[in-house]
Amino acid sequence: MSVLPEAALKYVGVESEIEIAVDPVERGQVRRHAQAIGDEDPIYWEACDANKRYGGPVAQPFFPIHMFRRAYGTEDPVEANAADPDYDGALKVRGGLPEIEPLTHMPVMNGGSEIEFFRLAKHGETVKLKARYASITEKETSKGPIILVVSETDYLTGDGELLARQRHTRIRRPVKK
Amino acid sequence: MTIDTSKQLYFEDVSVGMELPKLTKGPMTTAHIMRWSATMENWHKIHYDTPFAINHDKLPGVLLNGSFKQQWLAQLLKDWVGLNGWVWKMNYQFRAMNLVGETLTIWGKVTALHKGPDFGVVELDIGIVNQEGKESTPGKASVAVPYKGGKPVPYPFVPPKL
Repeated sequence: MSVLPEAALKYVGVESEIEIAVDPVERGQVRRHAQAIGDEDPIYWEACDANKRYGGPVAQPFFPIHMFRRAYGTEDPVEANAADPDYDGALKVRGGLPEIEPLTHMPVMNGGSEIEFFRLAKHGETVKLKARYASITEKETSKGPIILVVSETDYLTGDGELLARQRHTRIRRPVKK
Repeated sequence: MTIDTSKQLYFEDVSVGMELPKLTKGPMTTAHIMRWSATMENWHKIHYDTPFAINHDKLPGVLLNGSFKQQWLAQLLKDWVGLNGWVWKMNYQFRAMNLVGETLTIWGKVTALHKGPDFGVVELDIGIVNQEGKESTPGKASVAVPYKGGKPVPYPFVPPKL
């Protein structure tokens, strides 16, 4: 018996609007990112010989992908779900795409990615994205059925220069009773 | 532009089967995971709420974020290709969970070489194994590397036709 609701399939091909990251590339955020992953490469700090090639201090290759946060004045999901014991705190909106409503009750896990890098974002630059749902399929595994949701996203500077292109898989797993 | 050429990789120095210098992370603690999750503003409870992870999501404990592990694959490749190279593309799957207490080794091995007119492209297998040798994040990557005496790989990067 399929665990993939028919209604979920209508999301394939749905595109996002262009979304602009709430903040530009912040020096402090680049530092926190560097220290969290344990890569304090001087190219991330400030202008130096090593980052002249990039036009000055830059952010990590994956940094633009993580810049799309909750904006001021939008609903706070942590607060809104504080009384719900089943609320898992997972990020519900990725890449400006709508949540796939028929799958919201299923826990989500990161299933992997393909990514191409073209340039690094510089400190102070604005980043925007455009995304679409590429496929939604069911797969049988040794631990039961899972649903694979694949999205494709272009990350660009505010001027439209391509930074990275990502094809991302999220796993939705029916909860065992 | 002053380049530390002692750390620059050149295509002529790469061969199929070559293993990259390994990158080690850990032993991983809840502090590592919390620091990364806070940096990402990721409040997913499976990364810090042990009772929720075990009782609600039926997991063995809190998990290292997949987004955390992908950073290390990029770090491994960036450090290897040097300033005049470029990490072009990579793919990976999160096939196994990694938990608190594990020490992770990020690895890469050259699988193929392609000579282009202005720079070379190196294909690799990449991944992350824990202290027991269990692979969690297998993948593949392609990096662009300059020739000795040649120009740096173009930046912004323009993918070659292989």
